[in-house]
Amino acid sequence: MADIRLENLSKDFDGFLAVDDVNLTIRSGELFSFLGPSGCGKTTLLRMIAGFEIPRGGRIMIGDQDISELPPYKRPVNTIFQNYSLFPHMTVYDNVAFALRIRKSPKSQIRDQVRNMLALVKMGDQAQKYPAQISGGQKQRIAIARALINNPKVLLLDEPLAALDLKLRQHMLIELMNIHDAVGITFIYVTHDQGEAMSISDRVAVMENGRIVQHGPPDDIYERPASIFSAYFIGETNLITGEVMGIEDEYVQLRCPMGNGEFFEIDSTVHFAPTLGRQLTVSLRPEKIAISRSKPRAQEDFNILRGTIEDILYLGTHTQYIVKVGELRFRVFSQHKRVYFDEKALDWEEPVWLFWHDTDSWLIDEVPESGSPSLSHDVTNVYQRWVKRQQSNGI
Amino acid sequence: MESLRSRNLEAANLRRQNLASHILTAPALLWLLLFFLVPYLIVLIYSFLTPDIYDIRFIFSLEAYRQVSAGTYLKPFFLSFRLAVFTTLACLVLGFPVAYLIARARERVQNTLLVMIIIPFWTNLIIRIFSWRIFLASEGVLNDVLLRLHLIRSPLEIMRTDFAVILVMVYVYLPYMILPLYSVLQKLDFTLLHAAMDLGANEVKAFFRITLPLAMEGIFAGSLLVFIPALGAYLIPQLVGNQQTLYVGQVITYKIKNIPRNWPMASALSFTLLLLVALLLFLMYLAWRRRVLTKRGEYE
Repeated sequence: MADIRLENLSKDFDGFLAVDDVNLTIRSGELFSFLGPSGCGKTTLLRMIAGFEIPRGGRIMIGDQDISELPPYKRPVNTIFQNYSLFPHMTVYDNVAFALRIRKSPKSQIRDQVRNMLALVKMGDQAQKYPAQISGGQKQRIAIARALINNPKVLLLDEPLAALDLKLRQHMLIELMNIHDAVGITFIYVTHDQGEAMSISDRVAVMENGRIVQHGPPDDIYERPASIFSAYFIGETNLITGEVMGIEDEYVQLRCPMGNGEFFEIDSTVHFAPTLGRQLTVSLRPEKIAISRSKPRAQEDFNILRGTIEDILYLGTHTQYIVKVGELRFRVFSQHKRVYFDEKALDWEEPVWLFWHDTDSWLIDEVPESGSPSLSHDVTNVYQRWVKRQQSNGI
Repeated sequence: MESLRSRNLEAANLRRQNLASHILTAPALLWLLLFFLVPYLIVLIYSFLTPDIYDIRFIFSLEAYRQVSAGTYLKPFFLSFRLAVFTTLACLVLGFPVAYLIARARERVQNTLLVMIIIPFWTNLIIRIFSWRIFLASEGVLNDVLLRLHLIRSPLEIMRTDFAVILVMVYVYLPYMILPLYSVLQKLDFTLLHAAMDLGANEVKAFFRITLPLAMEGIFAGSLLVFIPALGAYLIPQLVGNQQTLYVGQVITYKIKNIPRNWPMASALSFTLLLLVALLLFLMYLAWRRRVLTKRGEYE
């Protein structure tokens, strides 16, 4: 089958490593996403597969064919560009027919294929319009039809939904999945939007500084982040650093400073073999934490902390609480179905209990860099600071 | 009621705006009227009068137009037309790559290159033509260098040839082609070329199917800016051309300069040239309109 293999692939721009020794196999027919912040190398990677950039080192294989050195027009891949790049001087029909005309297909065949393609993307009645006359979502569909008519083995999508508004984006995401199911070819999807990547992909590769830091199915990456970066970049999380105090079978006990000289303990399952005294980080997703006014009855297998509500954000689907434990701040999401059970809603400054199951604390064998707080009131801030650091590194 | 009032307000606003725009455009209109339309009317009137040795007699005559339609001056018209076509084509072929390279250069470089294209305009046209004469003459700079390098044995006779005319014409009119081409190419989204190549077009096909059609507006504009003045060229053929090849511009001048003078003939020739240009512009306008409307999808 026509798997895509990236072998030791690198690319630099004036000495800056945009893609750094990437090794990956993308299976035939898979919907695979590259996810990362701007400047992480994901677009460069895609452009190398498309043929717009020549790798500095390594190979790109499709099946048994090495395509690394082929010009774009000889590669069995097609691209959906970020701004669609429809030809403004051609009708929708002519845009879609472009690849077939270049190949000099017979006229009747062009007509049939264009018609089928336009039907697939539900644009059959717009064939005679010009790109300037159709909406963003429609342009998106035409870009897809124009690429798919060339019968590529792989379709590359470069932030295809970035230019659409939220509702349309959600709608097109489902359309894309349907089209993927209908044509059955490999889709490689590049995005900085973790929501898009999570919902659409069979597998996701998280990229940072030109490297793949983790790849796997979306739930795997979300539930079991391999690094602090993965945990931060995908979804939201609480990061708590502590020292290994005890190891018992697959359980680890961590002693975590609260920042005010006091400590609390966290129990966690572990997927690697830590040593006593080692500094580790716990990633704890906000929705795993339960919040309550009364002390929880079940205490076996649960971590229980006492804190004070510092901030409450009502977000429609859920409420976000910032709870202060010592000098640390925990972000907690609470589904609203719970609100009805509470006699009285939680209030600012109210002392509360936080508790979560031991298996929900996920251990990462890494400590946050000095300077970046292990627990922050505002995770976005940390991310922005991270981006700024990347930029000052010259990206 | 409400909508009626707002409509009245709208109309009043429109009237005010119209008045303002009339006042603002009046000086330009007056200028065109006095120094363009009125002189051309005089030319038109002169072309229907009778020549005298130095002057004209105010007697109606169709003699000048009879000669024009009899084809007496077909040759200079043909030569002028040919010169204009050659000049335009040469400017297009030479100017396109230059415009393309400027458009693709980094922004700072772009500005520098543009200034370099414009710098020749700072020098008077006649001085530049005389420089070419000095450069091309049999004892001129070019021949001197080539002789010293032993690349030629006897001086090349370039001055006073049709080739010299084309050469200098292209030199003078090239910027008029490059600037409009640059302005469209600079707006061209080069990822469209990537898209074309992605869909199987090699560089050549991508150029002819994407770049060229999208640069068409610039090609139209540049060609007009070169073709029209080239059609009436007088100065350059007069100063560097051979005196056996007479272009329309020169014929018109001689009709006025040489005794006996023939003002009506000169006027009729001028007017015919004007009509030709107007016809050409009209044809181009039709092509243009078709293109623009097609683009908007109003033609199906």
